[in-house]
Amino acid sequence: MEEKVCTMQDLGPGDMIERTFSGKSIIICRSDQGIYAFLNRCPHQGALLSKGKIGGSPAATKNPGEYCFQREGEILRCPWHGREFDITDGGNTLTPDRSKLKEFMIKIEGEDVIVSTERKKSKAAQA
Amino acid sequence: MKEFDGKTCRLIDADIHEKVTYADLLPYLGQPWKRYIADANWVQEKHMPYTQPAVAGVNRADAMLPDGRDAGSDLPFMREQLLDACGHDIGILTGALDPSPSSMHGWYEMAATLATAYNDWQIEHWLEKEERLYGSIHIAAQDPKTAVEEIERIGGHPKMLQVLLPIDDIAWGDPMYHPIYEAAEKHDLVIGMHHNEPPVQFGKWPRYFIEWHALIPTSHMIQVTNMILNGVFEKYPKLKVMMIEGGFTYVPFLMKKLDQQYKDLRHEVPWVTKMPSETIKNHFCFTTQPLEEMTKREWNNLVEQMGTDDIIVFSTDYPHWDYDSPEQALPNGLSEEVRHKIMVENALRFYPKLKRRDM
Ligand code: FES
Repeated sequence: MEEKVCTMQDLGPGDMIERTFSGKSIIICRSDQGIYAFLNRCPHQGALLSKGKIGGSPAATKNPGEYCFQREGEILRCPWHGREFDITDGGNTLTPDRSKLKEFMIKIEGEDVIVSTERKKSKAAQA
Repeated sequence: MKEFDGKTCRLIDADIHEKVTYADLLPYLGQPWKRYIADANWVQEKHMPYTQPAVAGVNRADAMLPDGRDAGSDLPFMREQLLDACGHDIGILTGALDPSPSSMHGWYEMAATLATAYNDWQIEHWLEKEERLYGSIHIAAQDPKTAVEEIERIGGHPKMLQVLLPIDDIAWGDPMYHPIYEAAEKHDLVIGMHHNEPPVQFGKWPRYFIEWHALIPTSHMIQVTNMILNGVFEKYPKLKVMMIEGGFTYVPFLMKKLDQQYKDLRHEVPWVTKMPSETIKNHFCFTTQPLEEMTKREWNNLVEQMGTDDIIVFSTDYPHWDYDSPEQALPNGLSEEVRHKIMVENALRFYPKLKRRDM
C-alpha cells in the first residue's frame, strides 16, 4: 500500500508533521539529509512523538565535562521522558539499548511524499 | 461521603501535581503576607541547579497548555488529558512543589500562612470542582505548632486524605514532628512523603541531574529508616505513611538490611519492638513511579523478597516529565488480579478516608 501524505513544501529541515497513513498516526520528519516517516508512538511508554522536538544532541565523548552539540535537525526527543531517537538512522536510540522507532518506507515523486507499508530495517538489523 | 466499589474501580493515581501561581494565592492571604508577594515579588527560595531534564523542562511537553500556561494549572485540560483519557476513578493531588512551605529554610510564619492559603485554594479550585480529585494538606512542618493547628483546621475535610511532608534535611523520625503524627492519626490522615529538593548528597546537589534523580530513593530510605528507628510506629500504632515518587524497588533491600541490623543492634534502640520489615508492611505504602523497566519475572522476584505486594500503589506523577502511563508502565504479563491490586485495591485499603462499598 502506498499513500501520498504531504508535499516537500509542507516541511523544511528540522521540521516534523503529523499525518495519517493506513489508519495510523505517523510523523514525517525532515533533516538536511532526507525525509523519514515513523509511527507516531514512542516505543518506551507510547507518547505521541509529534508532541516532541527535533533538534541536535551532545556527541558521545571520551572527555567528562565536554559538550559537543551537533546533528541539529536529526535527533527526535520524546515529549515525555525525553529519549533521543536518530531520525537519519532508522530511529535508533542514542543509547546502546537497541530500542528504535517503527519506520516506514518513504519515496519522493516530484514534490509528493509517498509512504508505503513496508518497514525499513535499521542499519543494526541489516548488519 | 462517597463510597467506592473496589471491584468496578479501575484506577487510583496516588501522585498528581496541580500547579499554582503565587498570584493565585493572593486572594487567600491576609496582610502583611499579601504585599510581600504582590508588591515585592517574593517567591520561595530555590535551590535546584538544573531544570532541563526533558524536552519541556520538568514537565511533559504535551502537558503545557496551548495558551502557554504551565502544565497542571488548568482543571479542564487535566480532565481531558489525564482523568478522562486514562479512566481515573480517583486522583490524589500532591502539590505544586513551589511554593512548598515545609521546604522553606526560614521565615516559618510565611510558610505557615502559605500552607493555609494553598489548602484553601486547592479545596476551592480542585477538590470542589472535580469529584475524582482528592487532596493533600500542606503544612509548615518546621513549626509543628502551626502545623498541628492547620491539620485541626482542615483535617476533617472529606476529600483531604493525607498530610504532605516534602522530604528535606531534617529526618521525620525526630520527636519535634511527633505532634504532627498525633494530629494526622486523630483525623484518619495518612502522612504523604514527597521529596522536593532532597539532600541526596550530604545536603547538597550532585553535579548532574541524572545523579540526583537516580538517587532519590536514597532520601526516601533515610526517612523510612529514621521513622522506624525513632519508634514512631510504636508510639502511633495507627499511623500510615505513603512514600511518593521514590518507587518501590529499594524496599526489599531495606527490609533485609534493617532486619539484620536490628537483630544486631536492638540494644541501641530498645523502644523499637517490632521487626522493621513488619513495620514497613504494616505502616507504609510505596508509589510505583518512576518505575524501572522490568519483566514480570523481575517484578515477581522483588515481590517475593518483600513478602507482599499489598504495599505497592500506582502513580503517574502527571504532568511531570517522568510520568508513568497507567497502560504502559507496569511489566507485561502481570495478572489482572495483581494489576488491580496495584491500580486500585492497595490504595483503597490504605487511605482510611477512602471508603469501600464492598467491605
Ligand atoms: S514514552 Fe517516550 S521516552 Fe518514555
